[in-house]
Amino acid sequence: METFAQLGAGFAVALRVDNLIVALLGSFIGTVVGMLPGLGPINGVAILLPLAFALKLPPETALILLAAVYMGCEYGGRISSILLNVPGDAGAIMTALDGNPMAKNGQAGVALSISAWASFVGSTVAILGLILFAPLLANWSLAFGPAEYFALMVFAFACLAGMVGDKPLKTVLAALIGLFMAVVGVDANSGVYRFTFDSIHLSDGIQFISVVIGFFSVSEILLMLENTHRGGKLVKQTGRLIFNLKEFMSTLGTVMRSSIMGFFIGVLPGAGATVASAMAYMTTKRMHDKEGTFGKGDIRGVAAPEAANNASACGSFVPMLTLGIPGSGTTAVMVGALSLYNITPGPMLFTQQPEIVWGLIAALLLANIMLLVMNIPLVGVFSRMLSLPNFLLVPGIAAVSTVGVYAVHATSFDLVLMVVLGVFGYMLRKMHFPMSSLILGFVLGEMLEQNLRRALSISNGELSILFNSPITGGLWLMAIAMVTVPPLLRRRRRKQALAAQAAQV
Amino acid sequence: MSDRIFAAVWLVVCLLLMVVGWGIQSEFSYEPVGPRAYPMLLLGLMLACSLAMALRPGEKADWPEKPVLIRIVLMILALLVYALLFEPLGFALATALMSVAIGRLFEGKWLHCVVGGAGLGFGLFYFFDRLLDVPLPAGLIFG
Repeated sequence: METFAQLGAGFAVALRVDNLIVALLGSFIGTVVGMLPGLGPINGVAILLPLAFALKLPPETALILLAAVYMGCEYGGRISSILLNVPGDAGAIMTALDGNPMAKNGQAGVALSISAWASFVGSTVAILGLILFAPLLANWSLAFGPAEYFALMVFAFACLAGMVGDKPLKTVLAALIGLFMAVVGVDANSGVYRFTFDSIHLSDGIQFISVVIGFFSVSEILLMLENTHRGGKLVKQTGRLIFNLKEFMSTLGTVMRSSIMGFFIGVLPGAGATVASAMAYMTTKRMHDKEGTFGKGDIRGVAAPEAANNASACGSFVPMLTLGIPGSGTTAVMVGALSLYNITPGPMLFTQQPEIVWGLIAALLLANIMLLVMNIPLVGVFSRMLSLPNFLLVPGIAAVSTVGVYAVHATSFDLVLMVVLGVFGYMLRKMHFPMSSLILGFVLGEMLEQNLRRALSISNGELSILFNSPITGGLWLMAIAMVTVPPLLRRRRRKQALAAQAAQV
Repeated sequence: MSDRIFAAVWLVVCLLLMVVGWGIQSEFSYEPVGPRAYPMLLLGLMLACSLAMALRPGEKADWPEKPVLIRIVLMILALLVYALLFEPLGFALATALMSVAIGRLFEGKWLHCVVGGAGLGFGLFYFFDRLLDVPLPAGLIFG
């Protein structure tokens, strides 16, 4: 019952005119950014974050803007996947597998509408999950001390290393680089300057916004330069514009299952929309692909990944809001955004600033409806934007990014730092370092160090405090399982595949 | 190969930072762990990772072909010049110049790039500075 009262208060915040406008704008911009190949939620949120700050939006409004962009991107990515066969963002890679064949069979309208519907259901299921689980988790984590927080963050990094696939070493190194970048600047406990090399610009630490824009905007446009020639062919939208009852019924189970799966994957720190949509697609294929229709335009193959990537995006708000540990790269950027407002997300947020949490949740519900409206009847407007030429788009991104960085401190130093970090980010990405892990490290860096030092102060330097309580012990065990089990499973699967091959020969 | 080079460079960077970090000391201490231990721990772990990477490099990075690489270097230069000219020239002019340069790199026609660049420069200046109240350097033209 209490939840309903708080949700009501949340709607009072979300229905304020400024917040409604911001949610609408965010949904629109998000869909466009998600649709444009190369630009995904993390880029969109990174580019808009400094602008929100520069426009002096209040914290709840800024958060609503960023969240609407995030959700909009998960909607928008499918448009270019289906029409262009080029995924608009990483979460939509799987959608292209069956979406583009459907479009080529003259069913573009059906593919677009069923995927928008699946996105809507995915988001709705996950927001309901958020409403249900977040207060419980927040309540429980109120009992967390520094040692528990430290173990929790280690668990988050372990999830990242275990889930992000075959490059655990690079994932760990990227996280360490992020953690180390967070060390630069004045040490809060002793007032000592660390690794500032006597530069006043670094005394306050490496500016979060320069890092985010450098890594996710500058490096992105450098990558776009490489792919200028690789444009796919835009499929003209033909046929029925909306799915019929039979198609709706045939996807219902898939959509529900993928949504629930996506939500739980999203809740796990570190594993985002990419993992969720891939797992949902694979599961659906395994369950339903009896006639070999998957990959040739099966409607369930379009619905599953879209439900899952939206659900995981909304699910990743759970650890962010309740524990202050972001569930994805994009929510990591949002945690950074909140810290610009001197707000630390975590269990205290629910008791001290409920209007932010519940306002955000209510706004997510509203934005989800706005997005459904935008993405079914108005999808033609968006698909026309896919023909925006790069020679206008890229300078536009560069200029808007620079405005954002400049608006925060008004120094050229931050602009140069942005470019330098962008080049560094470009090289790291070319060498397949996962950037979400780096940004998670950078955002969590200060918290990790502070909690470690605080815990050791409590125990007077005794290390056992870090793993002796039931919660810390459990978290460490889960962390170890996270790093060891997925590689073992992968190895077993590879061996089975090899054995199957050998048997065929 | 690039993995090995990166690992080697990072190894040296870590060692240098360790030397710098060794000098971190607080004048008073009331906690068991001072400001030095944690960064040293991170550097140590990074050192270990770099070593492991140097010994067992991952898959090959596919760096772009030479003509594309040249254009990427040109784009980095354009962005650096933009960052440096942002204040002295003012937002509108600097953005217009940057847009023409980058537009050309993306194979826009001269006319399109010049018109588009001018539009972006002045349009965005008006939008942000005048309409949204985000202060931008006015520079030569509006100054």
